[in-house]
Amino acid sequence: MPRRDGEYMGVDSDSDISVGGERKGKGKDKTDKRKKDKAKTKATEAESDHLQAAYTWEASYTRSWDTVREDEAGSLQGAVEDWMARGRRRRLLAPAAPVRRTIIRHLVLLLDLSTSMLDRDMRPTRFDLTLQYAREFIVEWFDQNPLGQIGIVGMRAGIGERVGEMSGNPQDVLKAIADRHKLEPTGEPSLQNSIELAKSSMSHLPTHSSREILIIFGSLTTCDPHNIHETLDACVATKIRVSVVALAAEMKICRELCDKTGGQFGVAMNEGHFKDLLFELIPPPAQRALSRAAGAGATNPAADLMMMGFPTRLPDASPPSLCVCHSQLRSDGFLCPRCLAKVCDVPTDCNICDLMIVSSPHLARSYHHLFPVKPYSAVLSMADASTSSGCHGCARVFPLVALAAVSEGMSAVGRYRCPDCRGEFCSDCDVFVHDVVHCCPGCGQ
Amino acid sequence: MDDDSKGSHLSVVLDLSPTHWELSSRDAPENTYPLTLATFLSQLLAFLNSHIACRHENTLAVFGAFPGKSIMLYSSSNAVLDSLSTDVNANSYPPFNIVDSTVVQRIMTELDSLEEHQEEAPTALVGALVKALCYVNRITLPTSSNSKTQSNGFHPGVLPDPRILILSVSPDLSTSYIPIMNAIFSAQKLKATIDVCQIYGPNTVFLQQAAHLTGGSYIFLERRDALLQYLIMSFLPPPSIRKTLSVPTQEQVDFRAACFCHKKIIDIGFVCSVCLSIFCQPLPVCTTCRTKFPMKTLQRLNAARPLLATGNSTRPSQSRMSTAGGPVTNNGVGGAPAAPHGGGQIANGNTNGARCVFHLG
Repeated sequence: MPRRDGEYMGVDSDSDISVGGERKGKGKDKTDKRKKDKAKTKATEAESDHLQAAYTWEASYTRSWDTVREDEAGSLQGAVEDWMARGRRRRLLAPAAPVRRTIIRHLVLLLDLSTSMLDRDMRPTRFDLTLQYAREFIVEWFDQNPLGQIGIVGMRAGIGERVGEMSGNPQDVLKAIADRHKLEPTGEPSLQNSIELAKSSMSHLPTHSSREILIIFGSLTTCDPHNIHETLDACVATKIRVSVVALAAEMKICRELCDKTGGQFGVAMNEGHFKDLLFELIPPPAQRALSRAAGAGATNPAADLMMMGFPTRLPDASPPSLCVCHSQLRSDGFLCPRCLAKVCDVPTDCNICDLMIVSSPHLARSYHHLFPVKPYSAVLSMADASTSSGCHGCARVFPLVALAAVSEGMSAVGRYRCPDCRGEFCSDCDVFVHDVVHCCPGCGQ
Repeated sequence: MDDDSKGSHLSVVLDLSPTHWELSSRDAPENTYPLTLATFLSQLLAFLNSHIACRHENTLAVFGAFPGKSIMLYSSSNAVLDSLSTDVNANSYPPFNIVDSTVVQRIMTELDSLEEHQEEAPTALVGALVKALCYVNRITLPTSSNSKTQSNGFHPGVLPDPRILILSVSPDLSTSYIPIMNAIFSAQKLKATIDVCQIYGPNTVFLQQAAHLTGGSYIFLERRDALLQYLIMSFLPPPSIRKTLSVPTQEQVDFRAACFCHKKIIDIGFVCSVCLSIFCQPLPVCTTCRTKFPMKTLQRLNAARPLLATGNSTRPSQSRMSTAGGPVTNNGVGGAPAAPHGGGQIANGNTNGARCVFHLG
């Protein structure tokens, strides 16, 4: 962990002090937003002794080097594996209850392109890392939300800049952020301007789709033309969910944006944590709670009937013709069932008649959110284990001796049991079944 | 194709439904080319042996789908355990011997234990397929440092070009639509190819989709006496080599959906935003999840319906061809340069009537 290094912090704290000095000097109206400017790791020991207990992040921050212990043979392998498995299992245990989820999602990704993104506290730079993770995020997001759409807005030089139009095609979205030279960070970011821009690009959307804004924010300032709290109220009114992944520190306005709109807020502590925070936002969010009593009789405003077209796929050998989306001559493609225009890729909205075109596998891809696999329970001791010698999924042989020390939720004998079919699985299969396949091999459904 | 030094992994999923194999083995009036389970197994074993023989590094796993149950019949990483029990024959190559005896023995044990059941449960093809995926996942995972696999000369972390071959004899099971689709998507994630050979019975749309979506090939066996030739010609070469071999692919895979209310294949449907059920007409209440839809939407959609009524109900391909040049709702927005050509082919695709019927819950 190089960023914990004393020398490194010393270098970094220069900039911190100057920010702090400015804060004390001028009583700008923005100061309240900076109250927690130093909440990140940059607080040096000398000045933050008395502050240390004040920041909540410090309470939850465990020193990772303390959790790694060598085993008897002096190897770290076991400890690392155990730690990874635990992290993966923790992720699994969270979404147990069946909840109603938003399937049709619309997300605007707000990328901070201010000069603070050139900071090197994340390798290679915050900017490069953000672009790299944003690409991975987009691919994974579309994989889990095939009916969703993503738009991209950049924040730089005090304005919001539309980088990529709202699109349901991952390739289009990826192309928008493919060229890093077009996104070179400059100037100050403006939260208000870019949120307004994102908001306006989602204003036309129907009520049954979710509207979300995800901000990757590296700066500790924002220069806004008006009162940003009005923008916040407007977001609440239009039911836009704002989530923020901060790279530097917690800002009050960011926290408030998330809390009031029902989004998630997180400060990335390191590269891995940054990715975790980002990827936590991929599964579709649970729909806002409706009162159960009223739900039965009342009309659910979030539910709606959507008209969708199921296109005819043209075989690769068909005679080439122009597509309506790129005006390119191609032989393969899909025909819109309503206007018979030819589009290159589904799912999309038909360029001519605006019908939503999907293919049945796209709908099917969302079903696993609706029918999740029950979480497996850990088999705690050898006495409890069944007679099977190998994993029910991959047939890996189970360890015969129980591990001496395991943490909560982990199985000492490496077995996890399905509550329905009573089959026992290894931890790899447990994670694979719940994260990827969404179908228990024993139950077969 | 720089991975010459690596082997390739093959998982075979066998559909061992006693009923369908019995039907398949009947003679002339019912089947032009009867195929018994015994002949099938001998041809299959020859295929499995040739896969192992192709390259020393090649790995193999065999899964069996029995009625209501699926088991792993053989895997290269666990094979050594059973080899001791089989008697050594000087005239046979030991690895072949191990595969053959293990697979046959386990199938026989399982089939014998089945006899008690009167009513035959549907085969657990999905279970076997998911197990095959779990196995592929296991050998693909770079972190696994299982000493058992390493002692076998098999290096985990080296991705051996995984593929799954499904040899199916039973027809589609509509309840297995969602699990099969889930399995397809995870195969895509693992970059595993799914090949399908339908040995007996009608075409299965689900497996056609599986092969299409994962880049594998689907073959409907017409000359069933030539099974081994089909297997060796089209399923033995790994996907990287198939590009140069022009293995038959599936052109007519229909991805249109059937509505939940009448099981009618539709091309414009109405979808519940909560549970994604598909209906062929606007309904006030979703029949699957009991969600009520707002009145305003119903009115709007009902107003839009007359426009698509012609295209939706009868699908007259001739009249559609004539409208292809001037789309119904084209309000002068650009031209529609598409589709004056393709009407004939579209009609062909439609009449094949591939269905994807699925039930929820």
